Amino acid sequence: MTGPLVQAHGLGRNFPMRQGLLGRPRDVWAVRDVDLTVARGETLGVVGESGCGKSTLGRMMMGLDAPTTGSVEFDGRDLADVKGGERRRLARRMQMVFQDPFGSLDPRRSVGAQIADGLRIHNIVPSDKIAEEVLRLTEQVGLSPESVRRRPHEFSGGQRQRVAIARALATRPDFIVADEPVSALDVSIQAQVVNLLMDLRQDLDLAMLFISHDLHVVRHLCNRIVVMYLGRIVEEGPAAKVFGTPAHPYTRALLESTPSLEPRHAALGDRVLPGELPSPMNPPSGCPFRTRCPIAEPACAQAVPPLTPQEDGWRAACIKAGPVKIAEPA
Amino acid sequence: MNRAQRKLILPTAIAAIIAALVLLAPFLPLADVRLMDIPGRFSAPSSEHWLGQDEFGRDVLSRLIWGGRASLFIAIGSALAAAVIGTTLGLLGGFFRGFVEVITVRFSEVILCLPPLLLALLVVTILGAGTWPLILALTLLYTPNYARVVYAATLQVRSLDFVTAQTAMGAHPVQILARTVLPNILPPLLVQMSLVVASAMVIESGLSFLGLGVVPPTPSWGLMIRAARGAMEQQWLLLVWPSLALAGTILTFNLLCDRLQSALDPRGVTGGGALWLRRGRNAPAPTPVAKVAAEADALLRVEDMSIRLHAETGMIELVRGVSFTVMPGETRAIVGESGSGKTLTGLALTGLLPDVLSISGGRALFNTRDGTQVDLSKLDEDAFRTLRGREVSMVFQDAAAALNPVLRIGEQLGEAIRAHNDIDDAALNKRVVALLRQVGLPDPESRVRSYPHELSGGQRQRAMIAVAVANEPRLLIADEPTTALDPTIQAQILTLFQTLKDETEGMGLIFVTHDLAVVAEIADQVTVMYAGEVVEEGPVDQVFARPRHPYTAALIASVPEGGADRLVAIPGTVPTPHNMPPGCRFAPRCDHAIAACSAAMPDIERPAPDRRTRCIRWEEVT
Repeated sequence: MTGPLVQAHGLGRNFPMRQGLLGRPRDVWAVRDVDLTVARGETLGVVGESGCGKSTLGRMMMGLDAPTTGSVEFDGRDLADVKGGERRRLARRMQMVFQDPFGSLDPRRSVGAQIADGLRIHNIVPSDKIAEEVLRLTEQVGLSPESVRRRPHEFSGGQRQRVAIARALATRPDFIVADEPVSALDVSIQAQVVNLLMDLRQDLDLAMLFISHDLHVVRHLCNRIVVMYLGRIVEEGPAAKVFGTPAHPYTRALLESTPSLEPRHAALGDRVLPGELPSPMNPPSGCPFRTRCPIAEPACAQAVPPLTPQEDGWRAACIKAGPVKIAEPA
Repeated sequence: MNRAQRKLILPTAIAAIIAALVLLAPFLPLADVRLMDIPGRFSAPSSEHWLGQDEFGRDVLSRLIWGGRASLFIAIGSALAAAVIGTTLGLLGGFFRGFVEVITVRFSEVILCLPPLLLALLVVTILGAGTWPLILALTLLYTPNYARVVYAATLQVRSLDFVTAQTAMGAHPVQILARTVLPNILPPLLVQMSLVVASAMVIESGLSFLGLGVVPPTPSWGLMIRAARGAMEQQWLLLVWPSLALAGTILTFNLLCDRLQSALDPRGVTGGGALWLRRGRNAPAPTPVAKVAAEADALLRVEDMSIRLHAETGMIELVRGVSFTVMPGETRAIVGESGSGKTLTGLALTGLLPDVLSISGGRALFNTRDGTQVDLSKLDEDAFRTLRGREVSMVFQDAAAALNPVLRIGEQLGEAIRAHNDIDDAALNKRVVALLRQVGLPDPESRVRSYPHELSGGQRQRAMIAVAVANEPRLLIADEPTTALDPTIQAQILTLFQTLKDETEGMGLIFVTHDLAVVAEIADQVTVMYAGEVVEEGPVDQVFARPRHPYTAALIASVPEGGADRLVAIPGTVPTPHNMPPGCRFAPRCDHAIAACSAAMPDIERPAPDRRTRCIRWEEVT
């Protein structure tokens, strides 16, 4: 593993919302103060519940959304400074796989034509080799050669997701943002796509930002994990540490409330986190998690706890942070 | 050639004949349109003049064809010109937004504020009558219509993932507009096109009729109508011909655009047609509630139930021979992938199957509160209404869609209670608040007055559950009730189901889900379904500890839990109902399949007294 390929510094995105007809716009921060790095060959998992800002983060890392504060650096260049044709050339190196395999493919064009787009735009291969390259890509993601002539509606969800991955791979990217790529798929199909992503990461030395709410999949696939809550990172570190002995109480709650095939000793009721995600329009003072936290104390309301290092490369934003072994079967 | 393409033949043929006639007019053996024959004026159709002669004795047929040349040229020409300009403006405005939107779409909207006929009159008055000023006037008139339609469609399409994917790929905006956005906004564009051509023909005729369009003696349909109006008493047929031509051409064009639109849709158009026009179903006639002396054991006993789809191509069996029982106080999970028939099974038990589906075999015996036994598969809608809520109740996946958005939570809950109880307002209110408190909705006294959109996803699901348990049903069917929820909220709702069951003695719960981990958390018994069939059944802990069907085993191994480096992926996909493999439906995807598997449908085997599996090799391979 070399140095970081993608770096985010103090990333924040504000969606001001007006309340009522005459109300003044109020700040609604979807993402706040996020620092991230992704290295080549590394898969960084972003987990969190809906509304925690993980998709917004993914779009900003891709340069699809402009951050309100902070910056994203790709291979040493600030995405905000690169414009026009140069920006489009840079786009070759970063690709995205979307959640909904039914919405992410153009229903009116054949699968082969959509995979070939990237090849044509960036002149990846000479034009007489395009058909050959499309076949190679479809084969790489495990689709049959005759599928290139078909249109997206003739495929099942898992096959479409393979097409979307083939399209993303066509430009030979260095960095892929996968926004919930397996959430819409059936369990048996999900395993196919997860295996495919693991193979590709190894074969192509890809840097990947894998956004998901499914902790089992993230744990299986990712080297490093970022846990988000209400737009902020609450814990970040190696997968084994974060999911093995989580330091932040939210990570613990998330792990404990995720259903498991293996029955656990404690009854379900004892592991349930009370309450719901606070509104981002009106976030609690201090630690955003304190309203639901089982170990909160008055000091938590004072200030937003900084991400403090636990061990090498492992940080948590909690004044009472500390590794706790939880009753999750290995 | 598919159905949509076949339907194109008729309008295309008529349009081709019209086009050929007007285009080939100079070469056809037609009489000179200006050749007058005063003695023969107003003469009726004859072998020489097929459609008769007009007020100057000119040949009507020839004038009709040449007139169509002028009318169609103006209408289609201006419609096309307006389409090109308007589409460009709309695309640019919708895609780039901001400043571009102001100078394109908003600017063209100013034209929409002017009365159309006056605007056309203005242009024609300034530039003088004639073909080209008319085209210019009509183009100016219709450009904003296109711009608006295209702008709205572009706004919709640009936010879709596949357009974002093109941006992410580094495609040039012009390329994205031409290759991705434009083809996807074609349907509304074509509709607009057909409307504009029709309307342009009418306005052209109108202006020519007023003497501001085509200049005589050049024929046009509008001019012909104008001339014929004055001679209506002498020869009414003169009015009929151009009117017929006008109406026929407009209708043809509308039909062509409509059918073109459905032919261009890559997904193909389904048969369609009104529900009540569909063929009568040969489902067994609803029999009155079969009251049999109750056997006091199972709450629900489903035996060999099948569900069929009545498609145009014949009957398709979507669910085949499903059997299971639910004991009082028991939770049975029905688990399977999409297309396994698990949801249909749940819907069938509440009589909520869509109209095109029906139960085609088997029984579903349910023991009611008063000790009688009814067969749920034979009930009609009226009989079900008395059962629903009080005996059998259902919780859906999407609470946002299942709750009525314009009624307050308290009203919907009250409605459910009133359906089976006759109580006064004060008692009803107390009961509603108690129910909301029971399902753990915070601050129930004020939540009674909330609308569904004011609640969060988890709270809506709680409200849904409150509606479902309002009348203390004996059997609760929950269809993926936690799938759309976040992990911490899902855990809350699962706990709620558990508590409800503990509090309500003897209530059976059928929990339909695709999530094996949820099954492990909540259920006592599990039924695994695949491609419309039950493949395995038994107590949850036993089935998960030692699955006796290869599909269950593979499904469990494909869950990314535990330390395996590589997940076990089941190759291939679930077969579609049209293409069911012979014999065991899982055989084509099964690692252990042998020739005998595809020979015949495997029988149910019993590895243990309370276990069932539909695999002929269960002893060797599991």
